[in-house]
Amino acid sequence: MPADRRASWLKGVLDLLVLATLTEGESYGYEIAKTLADAGFGQIKGGTLYPVLNRLEEAGLVVAEFRVADRGPGRRYYRLTDQGRRTLAEQSELWLVFDESVRTILSKEAGR
Amino acid sequence: MTAYFDTLTERLRAHGLPAADIDGIVADLSAYTAESGADPEEEFGPVDDFARRLTPKEDNDGPEMETETWRWTADAFHERARLNEFGDQGWEVERVDAFGHFISHRDRARPQRWEYLRTTAGRDRPPAAEGWEHCGNWMIFDYYKRPKSAMLGPAGELPAPPTASSGRVFWSKRFYLWIGGYLVLLIVLLTGVLGPSGPTIAISLLVTVAVMVLWVIVGQRRARNREG
Repeated sequence: MPADRRASWLKGVLDLLVLATLTEGESYGYEIAKTLADAGFGQIKGGTLYPVLNRLEEAGLVVAEFRVADRGPGRRYYRLTDQGRRTLAEQSELWLVFDESVRTILSKEAGR
Repeated sequence: MTAYFDTLTERLRAHGLPAADIDGIVADLSAYTAESGADPEEEFGPVDDFARRLTPKEDNDGPEMETETWRWTADAFHERARLNEFGDQGWEVERVDAFGHFISHRDRARPQRWEYLRTTAGRDRPPAAEGWEHCGNWMIFDYYKRPKSAMLGPAGELPAPPTASSGRVFWSKRFYLWIGGYLVLLIVLLTGVLGPSGPTIAISLLVTVAVMVLWVIVGQRRARNREG
């Protein structure tokens, strides 16, 4: 099995996971990466996360606002748009169907 | 056999696949379309693309084609300026090796701009919450990187990567001056300690050191070529 298989899996679903981390409110890059790490996805590097955030922003699924911090230069805060919320709901359903199909096949294989 | 499979056979042959493998693949695909009734072009896509995807060598080359790797170094007088200059061209430092080379890579499809910070090792760590990540350590220095998108969003990306520099070693004028000053000081000190034979001994020492350094550099280069 290739060593980077988890990375390939993550590549296919990372945009959805990022959107999902914003369902309860706005967040910023590091906090999103931390939420995903705490959920067991390992450390998502900035070089992986920010291109995804940029794509989501360009697609109008999130909006970002730069805020100056009391200390330091500040951060970009990301928030789900209505379109982002709809896309997340639709794509999550598709992913869960896909996940179910994978489970069906893999659990058969494991049961042999 | 359809024209699609004839062309596919030719393309696979051109990609250097063994004839026996080609026969097996084409027979299998023909059987597949015969059973499914599907049009080969619709089922497998444009024949040139499909031939490329069926060729293992091309498959393996894929990820490398998406990412460029570059190993370079600069002296401590100006490496921060070089890091930020190359970071603006999309180069992300992955690590710093034992010889002080910055091992960098760049995503060809969607290059990000990067900014860098250097701190004294173990001190003044910049806040991770602002997007800074540790990317290497050399001697007494720690290096940190941050994608410019952390502050600028999509404006932190490059529309296209500029041509990569062909250089690998970037020494500053100050570094040459420093080396020159150091050598003069060494000669003066040795002359003071050893008398008139001091400069000769100092120059012999320097030549020996230069030969050793050259030997290490050539060895490294040969090792890299073997890896490549």
